[in-house]
Amino acid sequence: MAEVHQDTNSAGSDFDLTQFYQIFFEEAGENLDLMEQMLLNLNLETADDEELNGIFRCAHSVKGGAATFGFSDVAELTHQMESLLDRLRRHELQPNSSMVDVLLESADASRSLLARHQAGAEGAGPPTTDLVSRIRSLASGEIPAPKAAVVQVVAPVSVPVTPSAGTVPEQPKALTAVVSADGVRHLEIRISQLDREDQVVALMELFRDIPGLGDIKARPWTAGTPREFEVHTTSSNEDLLDLFAFHVSREQVVIQQVAEEAAQDHALSSSQTGTPLGFGFFDGAPGAPDLLAPAAAAPAAATVASVVSKAALPKTAGAANAATSQPEAATIRVAINKVDQLINLVGELVITQAMLAQNSRALDPALYQQLLTGLTDLDRNTRDLQESVMSIRMIPMSIVFSRFPRMLRDLAGKLGKKVNFVTLGEATELDKGLVEKITDPLTHLVRNSCDHGIEMPADRIKAGKPETGTITLSAAHQGGSIVIEVRDDGKGMSREKILSKAREKGLDVSDAMTDAEVWQLIFAPGFSTAEVVTDVSGRGVGMDVVKRNITSLNGTVEIDSSEGYGMKVSVRLPLTLAIMDGMSIGVGNEVYILPLSSVVESFQVKSDAVSTVGQGAQLVKVRDEYMPVIELEKVFQVSRFDSEKVSDIMVVIEAEGSRVVLLVDELLGQQQVVVKNLESNYRKVPNVSGATILGDGKVALILDTAALVRRSRH
Amino acid sequence: MPLILAVDDSPSMRKMVSFTLTGAGYQVVEAVDGVDAFEKALTQSFDLILTDQNMPRLDGLGLTRKLREHPQFKTVPILMLTTESSDLMKQAGRAAGATGWLVKPFDPARLIEVIKKVVK
Repeated sequence: MAEVHQDTNSAGSDFDLTQFYQIFFEEAGENLDLMEQMLLNLNLETADDEELNGIFRCAHSVKGGAATFGFSDVAELTHQMESLLDRLRRHELQPNSSMVDVLLESADASRSLLARHQAGAEGAGPPTTDLVSRIRSLASGEIPAPKAAVVQVVAPVSVPVTPSAGTVPEQPKALTAVVSADGVRHLEIRISQLDREDQVVALMELFRDIPGLGDIKARPWTAGTPREFEVHTTSSNEDLLDLFAFHVSREQVVIQQVAEEAAQDHALSSSQTGTPLGFGFFDGAPGAPDLLAPAAAAPAAATVASVVSKAALPKTAGAANAATSQPEAATIRVAINKVDQLINLVGELVITQAMLAQNSRALDPALYQQLLTGLTDLDRNTRDLQESVMSIRMIPMSIVFSRFPRMLRDLAGKLGKKVNFVTLGEATELDKGLVEKITDPLTHLVRNSCDHGIEMPADRIKAGKPETGTITLSAAHQGGSIVIEVRDDGKGMSREKILSKAREKGLDVSDAMTDAEVWQLIFAPGFSTAEVVTDVSGRGVGMDVVKRNITSLNGTVEIDSSEGYGMKVSVRLPLTLAIMDGMSIGVGNEVYILPLSSVVESFQVKSDAVSTVGQGAQLVKVRDEYMPVIELEKVFQVSRFDSEKVSDIMVVIEAEGSRVVLLVDELLGQQQVVVKNLESNYRKVPNVSGATILGDGKVALILDTAALVRRSRH
Repeated sequence: MPLILAVDDSPSMRKMVSFTLTGAGYQVVEAVDGVDAFEKALTQSFDLILTDQNMPRLDGLGLTRKLREHPQFKTVPILMLTTESSDLMKQAGRAAGATGWLVKPFDPARLIEVIKKVVK
């Protein structure tokens, strides 16, 4: 018994399936991502049933949804993937890397096809015929496929069901058909509301006009009842219905297998052979409708009537939501701008709260006890609220990490290296904005590790290392920061080579520099040229860009390396950009905020500790180290207090690997500040990275420490 | 109002099935896989269990077998939704104790048509 299934445009006329498209797109995307991940983790020699089944299920789900929602190109491609994966999970084929390659490419192609559908693109997408034929040839393998016919299940056009039906006009709507051994079926067709004799004649003429369609005989008829016909045909019910549709509507037609034949079908009940509709019941199975009982015959007929009227839908749509249990109700999707607005409002609330707290300090606790207690509660609740709201924007690092296995696989394959990729702390959460901005620098670092860190397999063996190199990417929270590390067990960096290269480049270096200082040299602009990449142990391609990106996020980069043993790059980032720990300092009547992460220390100096060198530049000697002094009143052109009142407080800040000293009047305290973007609210101001509103309602500028450090170099 | 348990690991299929059925006047409880379905089946009296075949943890055949072993589900109709329309699959379904099968993809009208046959 052969069954031919073709892609059906399943969208029922009364149902708008588009409302499920979005869910399907998201779900398909997740399935393809998961499949990719599992394919990348698949060990070809030891692949177990669970892994193979999991991968199969992903393709299977995408195919099922794509076919249901009418995305036939995706259904076709994923069907081929599914067929190959089916043979793999049945252990009829041994997985190999070309299979993984073609499956990964097919997943990419499916993604882009889906993206086209999602964008509502018209016309055909990128061709997948090459992928389809590659998968087919892999799926057929060395062993002849016993179920080769099944591979054809999803076909873009309908195929005549039997040779004799070849003259039936091809229907645009594909169909499911079941053909019995001799191919001829004896049917009873009832058509309701068929009173006009000319329509009856027209229907019967179809059988005369189309050779091979079969024969039709009208049964005696009384007005007011459905017309009944007996038909012998090899064509499927769908074909018949499509033909009849020229004269009567499909809803009027009921096709039913004549009972004598149904009774002969022992293994599977009549619905299987009697209808091409792709369903059936098992004889005598619990709950099965008794198809052979005369009373049940009529309701069991294969009606194609649309059961749900259009009018009934809107009324019951509400009930659908109420009655449906929601397994995925644990999460909701919210537009990011709503979250940002919430964060903004909480920021304002924090400021207001700080203002109230500051103004209430002058109040007499004895007189205003209740008010002050209320303010204390407000303080606590505001902080809790702020934390909760910030956590909404937090997303796990796995979002970034998950892109690397594929990238490394491709890169290692291209370079002929063997690399094992390990990730730790994928669940560590970070602000969404930071996650997006850290992705590129991290990609760079991971690429560098593979490209320049890990040696060729032969070299590794020579060096007494395992043939396969390891790159570890880890994330962890440390205090208010997140620390992301990229570690490899490759060849590491050579101190001598970096120093000699730096001298060539005219950088100011000495042999007395600590290792950490030497490693920092590779972040110098211009250190990254192609020759350096090969001469030194590779690092350098755009490392200055990496560093700059991370610094702009208020983050820091540190390098640790040991020649021959590998290298570690640690990136430390604040958890969010919206709120920052700051130190407020006073210069004259102005208040500025320094990011606490860049403050090293502060101290008071005697005026003789400051010496002036050429062109008026000032230096201060701190523990035998000279550091440039920046007078903020000159930078921002504010007037300071009288010189007698000047307290000569100095704050050491560090950015981009250098330290400078700021001369300030007052240290006002440390506090969390809500960062407001100055550029979007006003314009870009040199040496300032943003602004905030203080508890007393005044605006304070947040200093751009990196810019100040750069300023001191000129 | 007849109560139907719809089991599918795919959220979009679940939504589609449940929307279709509630629109046709059935009450629907959704389950995400066989294990979830079995737990939910025990809590209410269902008129029909509609299950996908390929699911994590416990597939449709496994769920059917498990349900039939339990005295509470000796007679409840169980329909398998499957893309595998091979006879092998049908025989496996029959052996597991399923009432019938419906080949995916199907359109909503056909789903209701089939369900009307088993849920009175």
